[in-house]
Amino acid sequence: MIHTNKTRNRSNNIVLLALLTISASMPAFAQTQENEALLKRISELEQRLIELETNTVLSDPETRVKRIEVFVDDNGIEHETQVPGSQKVVTYQRERFYRRQTINERIEDALANAESRNVQLGVDAAIVLQSVQQNKGAKTPADGSIYQLASTDIYFTAGLAQNTLFFADIVGLSGTPQDADTDELAQTNGYGARLVQQNDLSLREAWLMTELWDQQLSLTVGRVDLTNYFDANAAANDETTQFLSDALVNNPALGLSENGAGMALVYDPKGIFSIKAGYQQSTRAATSLSDSFYKLVEVDYRANPFQLGEGNYRVWYRQDNTGTGLSAYGISFDQKITANTTAFTRYGNNEAEGETGDDIHYSAGVRFNNGLGFNPEDAWGIGYAGSELANNDEEHLLEGYYNLRIAEKLQLSFHLACLTEKMANAGTTTYIVPGTRLQASF
Amino acid sequence: MKTVKTLLLKIMLLKIMFFCLTLSFSNLVLAVQTEKEIKITDPSKVVVIVNRDSNDIAFMDIETNALIGSVFLGKNVNPHMAMMSRDGRWVVTGGTRANKAYIIDVATLTLVKEIPVDFAPEHLAFSPDGRYYYQGNPDGDSVSVIDMATLVEIKRIHGFAEPLNITFTPDGSKAYVGNYGAHWVGVIDVTRHELLKKIHVGRTPGIAALDPGRYLEEIKGISNVSISNDGRYLYAADGDLGIVSVIDSREDKVVKIIRVGADPWRAYMSHDGRYAVVANNGDETVSFIDTRKNEVVATLESGPDMMGINFAADKAFVISSSSGFLYVYDMKTLKPAGRIKIGLNLQIETATTDTAGQKIYLASSTDHSVYIIDGVTEAVTRVADVGLYPWGTHILDSKDNYCH
Repeated sequence: MIHTNKTRNRSNNIVLLALLTISASMPAFAQTQENEALLKRISELEQRLIELETNTVLSDPETRVKRIEVFVDDNGIEHETQVPGSQKVVTYQRERFYRRQTINERIEDALANAESRNVQLGVDAAIVLQSVQQNKGAKTPADGSIYQLASTDIYFTAGLAQNTLFFADIVGLSGTPQDADTDELAQTNGYGARLVQQNDLSLREAWLMTELWDQQLSLTVGRVDLTNYFDANAAANDETTQFLSDALVNNPALGLSENGAGMALVYDPKGIFSIKAGYQQSTRAATSLSDSFYKLVEVDYRANPFQLGEGNYRVWYRQDNTGTGLSAYGISFDQKITANTTAFTRYGNNEAEGETGDDIHYSAGVRFNNGLGFNPEDAWGIGYAGSELANNDEEHLLEGYYNLRIAEKLQLSFHLACLTEKMANAGTTTYIVPGTRLQASF
Repeated sequence: MKTVKTLLLKIMLLKIMFFCLTLSFSNLVLAVQTEKEIKITDPSKVVVIVNRDSNDIAFMDIETNALIGSVFLGKNVNPHMAMMSRDGRWVVTGGTRANKAYIIDVATLTLVKEIPVDFAPEHLAFSPDGRYYYQGNPDGDSVSVIDMATLVEIKRIHGFAEPLNITFTPDGSKAYVGNYGAHWVGVIDVTRHELLKKIHVGRTPGIAALDPGRYLEEIKGISNVSISNDGRYLYAADGDLGIVSVIDSREDKVVKIIRVGADPWRAYMSHDGRYAVVANNGDETVSFIDTRKNEVVATLESGPDMMGINFAADKAFVISSSSGFLYVYDMKTLKPAGRIKIGLNLQIETATTDTAGQKIYLASSTDHSVYIIDGVTEAVTRVADVGLYPWGTHILDSKDNYCH
């Protein structure tokens, strides 16, 4: 019994000792763990501080003005939800939010904001150098001559209100196009069509454009160039990057030689159809718009027939009351054949002044781009244009070009045109017109 | 002596009792904490909304359009993209300004873990088996690998250049990383979590030497690698090069280079896998690539600042962020089919499509709303005040889960 008690006492002592040891070591163990956790936390916080100081703006909450809709009752009390007798009112309210931006983001936002309030300026400059070699027909002054024309457009654009834009284009041209020497019907340098007065600045366009009905209807009013809206073509519509000859830029049957005061309406619901209508004064000699009222309508259809790529099909009709009042109609198609190849064609028929028949104009060609060149953004094309006039004069033009994209803002193109004039009273004359165009836009 | 021993024993017993009581109380508190209210029973019936400026992830009932709740992540977190794990248990997101990944328990809408990662975490992906969550850190040029079993970052893979999006192969053996700061696609061996290869997608044109500013001032590389339905091919659009490179996933090499419009953002795969639709922000067009021929079969006019493309009811809906419009295209005829006005002066962001392929859930940041677009009727329903600056949406198993 005594032994038993002694044994029990010893056991109790061992248990007590063990418990005391555990009890004493527990706070120390917990302390160590706590210290380690704190050290780890301090290390993380230091890392965060470095990140904050090097990458981010201090974390002040930002404010933003928010457009909100509230309901105001007869007593002028504002409610968040509609109550009897209240009306929905749009108002603005500041809100605070927690968005931390980097310094770079803030600077970019500020610059973008400032830029959006400024008038945007753009420049499009081109120098066209061409020579003329005559190889058939009676010699003309053009044979063996070199011609150079320099053109500079300065654009101004400003956003005035919601979906409302002001645009102005001031152009200066200097040089001598060959048209006067070759007696050609359509100009082999499309820039020549813009030449009004040597070395003078002229206002080509100045208009105000606004978009209505969920931006489906655009209305442009001012001094306009209706060829920017009508008779468009994906492959042959731009003398600055595509064909140089005017017959492959616009349909001659349009008969619009200069810009004037007018209006253009474009209804485009972003489906397969769009409709356009417009008018402008067609000659500066007119004393009123009524004396020179040029009207134009067009229907555009987008399609991808035979599982080809996208195609644009346009039909237009115009009337001009200048002189004896002449009308014309035409088509302009462009169809993507493959991802790299686009074919185009145009046809136009216009009443000829003083003649019983009509003038007929047609053109066709093909453009290659998207990698079918030396550089991925180069493009090249071959086009043919013919005109058969009511007075039996004829003109046939074949042009090829290669547009080399030197840089994003600089392009150099090489052109070769062959022009055949068949004048009813003067026989046939043929010209070979090689040329280059250096074009910069920025 | 006996008295002292008895006293010591009593003190000891008291300590043990106190220890046990403390332990029991802690367990009780823990039990109370873990027994949280179940708020979401069916994760496939919710729309996950990323609210950038209110720094939370909101959850909306897909049937009633009512907000179920939201999980606040912390001030200045600015979550970028969220994704639900395949089993619907977790939602994960990267807090761009907090440099952390966040794990949310979907059933109870509880933030269960914050995991420090590298700089500016944005886009992310789960491995097909749900075991790993890869978090891209564009500013850290790294990808964090988070083990979903332990919720721990087990590895940080370095060597990328602004990794924006991650795409796993269907068998989960590899992950492809789009590098927006370079012109190569990174291939990760998922078994070892290592950068295995760099696939060069295309050459910079030789003429670039004459135009150094264009390629040096800012780089617009590859934002995403989109995978075909069968997992065989990957489509990597490169912004600066204006191309989509087709990569064979079996050999990890480029088998075709397709020229598209200017500054392509990325390719979006149609639900049937027939077309890869590319948003070209440089010339505001969309290119439709036939994936059977790997050729562009249509290039159609679109709007500015395209941020995403969703597919519903045999149509493609292109999100034009700054214009507030969705441009619609008929996927059978590849013709334009009008556009839907979401609102005036809005900035619309990205969207997800429901699993039935009928409704689109579009985040609209500047009016703090989600717009629901019926793919068939094109009717628009607004769900307002979902949180501040909703940046993106997500639905479990949707074919259009992406970010920008």
